[in-house]
Amino acid sequence: MIWVETLINGALLGGLYALLGIGLALVFGVMRVVNIAHGEFMVLSAFCAVLLSNLFPQVPPLLMLIPVIALSFAVGWLYQAVIVNRVVTSPDPLSPLLLTFGVSVILRNVMVEIFGADVRSLQVGELSRASLEIAGLNIGIMPLLTLVLAALLFMALQLVLRHTEFGRIVRATADRRDIVRLSGVKPDRVYNYVMGLSLALGAIGGVLLAVRSSFTPFSGAERLLIAFEVVVLGGLGSFWGALLGGIALGMAQLIGLKIDPNAGLLYAHLLFFIMLLIRPSGLVSSRV
Amino acid sequence: MPTRTVLLASTIVFVALIASAPFVLNEGFLRLATECLLLLTMAQMWNLLAGYAGLVSLGHQVFIAFGAYALFLTSGWLEVTPIWVLPVAPLVAGAVAAIIAFPLFRLRDAYFSIAMWVFAEIIGAFTMKSQEVGGTSGMPLATSKLIDFDWFEPTMFWLAGGLTLVTIAALYKVMTSSFGLGLMSVRDNDLAAMSVGVDVRHNRFIAFVLSAAGCGLAGALSFMGNLFIAPLAAFDVNWSVYMMFIVIIGGIGTLEGPILGVIIFFGLRELMTGPLGLSGGWYLVGLGIIAVVVMIVAPRGIWPALRDRLGVRLLDVHHAAPRPATATILPGASERVTG
Repeated sequence: MIWVETLINGALLGGLYALLGIGLALVFGVMRVVNIAHGEFMVLSAFCAVLLSNLFPQVPPLLMLIPVIALSFAVGWLYQAVIVNRVVTSPDPLSPLLLTFGVSVILRNVMVEIFGADVRSLQVGELSRASLEIAGLNIGIMPLLTLVLAALLFMALQLVLRHTEFGRIVRATADRRDIVRLSGVKPDRVYNYVMGLSLALGAIGGVLLAVRSSFTPFSGAERLLIAFEVVVLGGLGSFWGALLGGIALGMAQLIGLKIDPNAGLLYAHLLFFIMLLIRPSGLVSSRV
Repeated sequence: MPTRTVLLASTIVFVALIASAPFVLNEGFLRLATECLLLLTMAQMWNLLAGYAGLVSLGHQVFIAFGAYALFLTSGWLEVTPIWVLPVAPLVAGAVAAIIAFPLFRLRDAYFSIAMWVFAEIIGAFTMKSQEVGGTSGMPLATSKLIDFDWFEPTMFWLAGGLTLVTIAALYKVMTSSFGLGLMSVRDNDLAAMSVGVDVRHNRFIAFVLSAAGCGLAGALSFMGNLFIAPLAAFDVNWSVYMMFIVIIGGIGTLEGPILGVIIFFGLRELMTGPLGLSGGWYLVGLGIIAVVVMIVAPRGIWPALRDRLGVRLLDVHHAAPRPATATILPGASERVTG
């Protein structure tokens, strides 16, 4: 029974992990850039949420998601416009990778210097401890809500990309950056919006993860690695694949923690590496 | 003056400088110089992989850790002065690289980079769990009592200096050979390289193993100088950050670039944490900003931009294209070719 509970909780955690991955997948899918600073931006949004909830203690902390999401969108837009767009068309595929890695180092150390290296978390009071009991299984309300939210967001994103004008423009730009210009689309501007959207999605994941577990300015690296593993495990083409990948990683992590309480992310990393060994063709061929 | 003479003369000057430095410099400065030289070697090794083979590794710290732990453990088992077991470090790091190349080489670009990082995290987590190597708290160098401490700092400096010179000479030799030409052709256009018979996988594999072995040796020397090793220091992702920044700022894909990069790296560090009194965090922020600006303004790094402006060529491994044969256009043939 305890194992069933672990698996269910792993699946719920997976919803959150999928949220971490989806922003990364979106940017990669549209502009072929792996944004290494994605994890640091998530941590930054968590710091913003903590700051805001300290400033306005009477407002429920989860409502802080709204300004943080808006802020993250703006930051993403600027980040793309000022920095990433300059290398996105570089003939060398490594340039964006190195550039975003540089940005991640800057952000991490700025956060260390401004916020200190202390362990933080976002307190949401009763909600974080509330749980449901279904058929003798103890299931947290907060993780359940997170999974539902993740699924809703995935559906919404799917709808936007498939059925709206904006979605068509984004998909067209992802396919042929050079050809969309003929229809009056400015690819760089589309990229700005996509990066904004990606960081907004990352902010939701970052803030919700800050409720669930504590974080420091150094947490960006592990968030990036989880996000990346979600994307690769799920296969890049599909959002639902990312959800499955997240759930697999969440389960692996919680089962690992049951076996060995201070394993951290080791078992999630191991699952990823084993998948790399036994299913490489699926991993490599699943380019968008 | 022919290039060969210049190179030979400068090598002799450098050997003389390195041999005499311990008698001139004080101990603190000697330690700093040793650190510089070791980081320069690591940066050259990272550059071999990223600049010539086109593989960016964000997990190169794992090879530094493998080399260092291999040295600490073997020296403890055999109970001999650590210097005599130094060759173990590159062997172990190279062997690990040869094994993990199989799964990792299926991945390209960013996938390879981050999978390397995940690999380093996995090994780091296992190291912290195994009590045989000291777990989280690390372990001291068991045979440090066998070291002659009167000559320890100078010996470390000579080893680091020798390693740096050998590395640069070997890289120069390799890059001017046909193997180096093949490697660079793979970086520039792997499809075209394959079509003229360059074995892409094989070249990348050799560069990867060499790079890992070099980092293993430099890492072993670095931790031997500390007489202590702990997983948080050995598996620190900042090793990769340093190597990358040095190479990016100085000039990726050149031999002189990392030298310039190391000078900027340590110059800025001594300036910011010394007279300016700033913390290590702000130093990394400053270095990061320089790297990002260089990547945007001069994507090939500072050295190539300077070289083109000044027309200086020091350790150039650039291959000039053979001069085309005198063109004789056959009547009627030109239309077919251009059409």
